Amino acid sequence: MSHYGEGDLILYYYGEGRRRHDIERHLDACPACAATYRDISSTLAMVDVPAVPERGDQYGLEVWQRIRHRLPEPQQDVWSKHSAGPGRAAWTELATWWRRLVERTFRADRLAILAAAATIAIVAFVAGRFWSTPSKPAATITATQAPDGGSLPGLRQRILIGSVADHLDRSERMLTDIMNASVPGDISAEQRWAEDLLTTSRLYRQDAVDIGERSVANVLDDLERSLIEIVHSPSQVTAADLDAMRRRIDAAALLFKVRVMSNELQEREGTRSAGDASPRTSTRKTS
Amino acid sequence: MDAAEAAAVLARARQGDSDAFRALVERHSRTVFRLAFRMTGNEQDAEDVVQESFLRAYRQLGRFESRANFGTWLYRIVANCSVDLMRAKQARHDQARGEPLETAADMPAADTPDPQRLAESAEISRRVQHALGALSPLERAAFTLRHYEGRSIDEIGRTLGLGTSAAKHSVFRAVKKLRHALQPLRSLANRGLAPQESQR
Repeated sequence: MSHYGEGDLILYYYGEGRRRHDIERHLDACPACAATYRDISSTLAMVDVPAVPERGDQYGLEVWQRIRHRLPEPQQDVWSKHSAGPGRAAWTELATWWRRLVERTFRADRLAILAAAATIAIVAFVAGRFWSTPSKPAATITATQAPDGGSLPGLRQRILIGSVADHLDRSERMLTDIMNASVPGDISAEQRWAEDLLTTSRLYRQDAVDIGERSVANVLDDLERSLIEIVHSPSQVTAADLDAMRRRIDAAALLFKVRVMSNELQEREGTRSAGDASPRTSTRKTS
Repeated sequence: MDAAEAAAVLARARQGDSDAFRALVERHSRTVFRLAFRMTGNEQDAEDVVQESFLRAYRQLGRFESRANFGTWLYRIVANCSVDLMRAKQARHDQARGEPLETAADMPAADTPDPQRLAESAEISRRVQHALGALSPLERAAFTLRHYEGRSIDEIGRTLGLGTSAAKHSVFRAVKKLRHALQPLRSLANRGLAPQESQR
């Protein structure tokens, strides 16, 4: 009687491998192989799937916060690289179509179609670039006038400054509450507040990046990290939890940064309001 | 996020849109962490693997074939990042100690060798984790993919960039080492359980 090796029995255990019925019959008839199989299966039965530590709904955001400053330049392929700039949409569409056509054509060995496709592709590309060159979307946006007579980016910046100043005020109050919370205590109200602020903060930060307000974006970024930490802390905090949280807020000089930025934005907003020829409604809200 | 939306996000990420990549990170982080934890068996290492995997994915997005499944592609990156991290750790360990990792068989029991205690799941789990820690990075990765993730030998080969034969032998070597390392535990546990079994 020929026996089965350990490898065959391991594959059999995992439901893989050939001759499964042969192995099954053999195990019924061969005590040596049956003992080896029992040994393998009892070993593997001891290796339970480990319990993976739980990660909350905000985990993805936390990961993003950790890696976002370390993102390198992506290695784009040649198609993506050339699709940047004028005629981008036409380029991308053409590149995809061309790539598919080349694949199909080479499979079918139809060189005549390839030559025709190449000609069409070149003509389409040149046409795409030619047509798209005169359109200058950035210039169009810059020239577009807002209803009050200012430019749209200027209006957007003004709204953002007012809103962020207000947001920083609220954040400062929430952080102050945390810094002064009694221990051991319940910070669930502050956590709900922090959660609301977190959502708003993300939107303002993105807007700040879009309009080139780097320093505002950086403060909001620091604030976002602390807000995430507060949201994910246990609601019933011990003295040690709260102390650790306070130390991290202190270490980042967060309250200081928030106050300074808030004052700066309020000053900028005041200067703009004073300089405006026509009166306008303030974007500041009271909360 | 439906399939069309996911494809659009992926396309934007491939063109260097960091917000689109952020959406991918937020969507896949928990899955990535689960695999990384199973591969490394350690929370801190798993966190390192999660970050490194996304950074690597971002660098290689241009090479990602848009018709492929992003999740499958990312899965391979995570598996390989885990192997790299385990290799680096092992190299540091070997350099520091100048000797191989001890096996579970060499490991002293937590308490007096009471068979009933050894049979307890916590003790078994501790020994198993130790035995898994003694596997080579590739063996551990192949074993994790087969045993925990339920991947076939072919899939393991594709994930780790190995031939089918190499993938199969990595799993075989892992099981062989585990059998050897857990033999004392199995014998003691069996001896401890024997009286109970005889009472049935």
